Amino acid sequence: MPDKSGNAYALTILSPIKDGHLDEVAYADIVRRRLDNWNLLENSPMARVPQTYLCRYFVLNDVFTQSLAGTDVYGTWFDFLSIFSDRARRRALPREDHLKSKYLVFSCNFHGDLDAYLRGMWLAIGNEIRHAWEFCYAFDQVRSDDDFVTYMKKCQLTASLFFVGSTDDPLEEQLKSLYLKQEFGKFVIEHQGLAAVELQQAWREFVARVEPANVKGPSWSPGQYRLRQETI
Amino acid sequence: MSNIAGKAYAMSVITPIRWYMTWINKLFFWVAQKRKSTLKGLITLSLIHYARWVIIGRKQFPHLHPDQPKEDLHYSYMLFFSNFNGSWDQYVDSFTFSIPSGLDLFWKWNVRYPRSVPLTPFHEYIRYNQIETTHYYSAYPLASANDIKAAKKVRQALLDFDDRCSDVSPEEFMKQYKGLLRNLQNDLGDMRPTPIVSMSAQQVEKRRRRDVRKEKERLAVLQEERKHA
Amino acid sequence: MTKVLDLLDIQGNVLKAYGRFSFPYARYVLLRVCHSEQGRKFVGAVARQVTTAVTWGEGPGQIPKPVATTNIAFTFAGLRALGLPEASLRGFPSEFMMGMKRRKDILGDNGPSAPEQWDPVWHGKQVHIFISINGQQMEHLEQRYAWLLRLVQQSEGGVEVLHGHRGDSAATDLPYQNAHALTENGKLTSKEHFGYTDGIGDPVFEGLPDAMRYVAGRGKQTAKGWEPLATGEFILGHIDEAHEYPRAPSPMSLARNGTYMVYRKLHENVGSFNRFLAHEGASYPGGREQLAAKFVGRWRDNGAPLTDAPDLLAKQEWDRRFAQASPAEKDRMLSAFTFDQDADGAKCPFSAHIRRINPRASLQTASEAFDTPGALSNRRRILRRGLPYGEVKDPARDDGNHGIIIMMMQADINRQFEFVQQQWVNYGNDFRAGNDKEIILGNHDAEYPSRAVLPVPVDSDEAPYFLRNIPRLVETRGGDYFFVPGMTALRMIAEGSVDPT
Repeated sequence: MPDKSGNAYALTILSPIKDGHLDEVAYADIVRRRLDNWNLLENSPMARVPQTYLCRYFVLNDVFTQSLAGTDVYGTWFDFLSIFSDRARRRALPREDHLKSKYLVFSCNFHGDLDAYLRGMWLAIGNEIRHAWEFCYAFDQVRSDDDFVTYMKKCQLTASLFFVGSTDDPLEEQLKSLYLKQEFGKFVIEHQGLAAVELQQAWREFVARVEPANVKGPSWSPGQYRLRQETI
Repeated sequence: MSNIAGKAYAMSVITPIRWYMTWINKLFFWVAQKRKSTLKGLITLSLIHYARWVIIGRKQFPHLHPDQPKEDLHYSYMLFFSNFNGSWDQYVDSFTFSIPSGLDLFWKWNVRYPRSVPLTPFHEYIRYNQIETTHYYSAYPLASANDIKAAKKVRQALLDFDDRCSDVSPEEFMKQYKGLLRNLQNDLGDMRPTPIVSMSAQQVEKRRRRDVRKEKERLAVLQEERKHA
Repeated sequence: MTKVLDLLDIQGNVLKAYGRFSFPYARYVLLRVCHSEQGRKFVGAVARQVTTAVTWGEGPGQIPKPVATTNIAFTFAGLRALGLPEASLRGFPSEFMMGMKRRKDILGDNGPSAPEQWDPVWHGKQVHIFISINGQQMEHLEQRYAWLLRLVQQSEGGVEVLHGHRGDSAATDLPYQNAHALTENGKLTSKEHFGYTDGIGDPVFEGLPDAMRYVAGRGKQTAKGWEPLATGEFILGHIDEAHEYPRAPSPMSLARNGTYMVYRKLHENVGSFNRFLAHEGASYPGGREQLAAKFVGRWRDNGAPLTDAPDLLAKQEWDRRFAQASPAEKDRMLSAFTFDQDADGAKCPFSAHIRRINPRASLQTASEAFDTPGALSNRRRILRRGLPYGEVKDPARDDGNHGIIIMMMQADINRQFEFVQQQWVNYGNDFRAGNDKEIILGNHDAEYPSRAVLPVPVDSDEAPYFLRNIPRLVETRGGDYFFVPGMTALRMIAEGSVDPT
């Protein structure tokens, strides 16, 4: 299943936005502004959605018509035809395409199962979801987590290739591992050159403090962008 | 609006492809998914958290409601989403320098793709077809893909070490500890905020932080007023 | 490929590190253009004495080696002040237009390296022109300098020499920056103030005279061995490693055979260095000199690379061979090495100076993963020029007048110098070292104390050694971005005849 790679899932959502306006601002622009305002919050709402690795939101206005030079598989064929036909020369130019609707694009990388993830998302940030998706076609029918799952699956596109360059572990494990890497790095530096007995004692204290086996113990929090020292 | 979340950069590219050529792309993607060696260059670059290619057939844009007009397109489209570390220039350059043939394999069938070498036309193709991200989230802005992979190794090594060595004699402990350090010697780089990726991104970030601060102050004032009301 | 460069059209300081050609004395003068037309006349007069890259010789029809050299370069503001047309100015890259001071956040010039701490000459009026004089003897240098001052006077206010270079003791208002090779026991050396042998291993590219003789270790590492780099990596108007011409302003004759120069005055905190080395050297298992070698990747006394001489025993063997080697073989021993047998950094640490500045093919961590082994480093190479300045009177102090003047030449400041400075010197992700910085040049500070790992062989019994609380060893004290025009362009600038229409 190309959307999955190990335990990591690539969710690609294109939700069509209604063609209307509110106080002379187009729905699509309202959606964009609402998403942009998430950047002013203390942290992204997605930090509260379990198992989210990295995700992005944007509004797809339209597709691009290619005008830059490039190669084309039919290049030489059209070159020959163009000798005889001006229409062929013009036909060789890329066609102009336009979308009839704008789309709210949500591209997300997370750990685990799709249904569980979507339910978790609805539970954690239902208000923000409704706020962002308010003006999308058929979203007014979405009242429950079941509705949300059904709706999203209708908006979902399948990935043809999903490349995982990081790990596919549960988010808590990734965060715990990062926490341990940071703390152990400090431990190594602070205890370099210590005699065996003191070192072993210090190690025991270290383990008691950082609890390597306990994912729910001390760790980095999702979306954490400051090191602990700064918050003091 | 920001393409940046700490050490991660969000690149989104949408390019047209003739609808009857998409099968070639899907074939190569399928091969790449099955034969890991196809992606060896990408894996070695070690710059990417997660990346995906999505092909949208020209009739496959989601249609959810009778009121929604059906799309009427000449081309199908290929979407590329990447979450990578480093600057835009470094990323695009690294593709061209290290895996030009792999890049070409995936994009060659798109309309007017200029090939990955020489560099400048390829740079322009990517910039021309790139869409900026409105809101970008990373669960670990302080970590690069390398940091996460190293962290996994560190955690497993620490758990294993704790299991085996917490209660052995001090001499044995020291010997094993040295072995642990040798094993992890290149995985303990310090993690801190990223260097800035461009002057404009830095200006946007400064303004955003100022706005966040102002917003907090405003809310704090409101809360005070409510208390006294 | 036998590419031939117009050596008469390229300025000499681009292709030659004069210090190695027995010009151990240098003086750098910064000037400002006060009047466009008089300024151009001045440039024209200087141009007649500018040293080209031609190969010197005593035979008939050859140019003999001069006793002093002169070269000239311009900031963006300088080119504008000289009346270069807007359409040409617009074609220069944005980092060059901004100048180095405004790029401080990209370069990590913060704290003690911040522009506020730079020499006064960089604070006042914007620098327009850079002129360098190198001399075989001090008297030759002084003669050429006197000639330059006469030209300035003859410009009748067209240009002025800028004051404000810091020198010895309390001097802060010198009209020039001096630099000179350090001496040891009366003999000239190529050392700098930390005691390291400097200036080894300049990149070799197509068109350089003798390119094939020196290419091992200095060109690019390919499947076939060592090959010269593409000329366009270092000189505008020539094809570069990406099979295209580097971006350049128009018209072509303005850009052709020119290059960009990054001038940086780097103060060396000799006291901090000695204290740090003594302190860490006391606990480091290999001892002080080996530790010093680990900072840079070369042994201090003769520059023996750690990859070929990883410990004291190997070094003694290396020294024996080196003493008996011919000059060409000596050059090979110093430069022709790879990191191919050092994947863990056990010989040359990842945070050592030479590994960060030029990782050779070591970023290709899986065999044959890339199009070419040096894919990620071939386009990050830089030509290094310059000399040390000042003198260490008290090795326990930081506040003396001592450091190096470095001039880095490349076709693209942003892709080469700025990238290496930002991603490889002040950051370590490409080396899987997280945020760890390069030991010697990194902008270490107390807010986030720096560490660096000195790895050991995986099959040894030892623990890796971690350097802790690395002090800032080098501080920026001034600099800017300059354009070094080819000789044709230089004459056109002087005549005011550049026309991109």
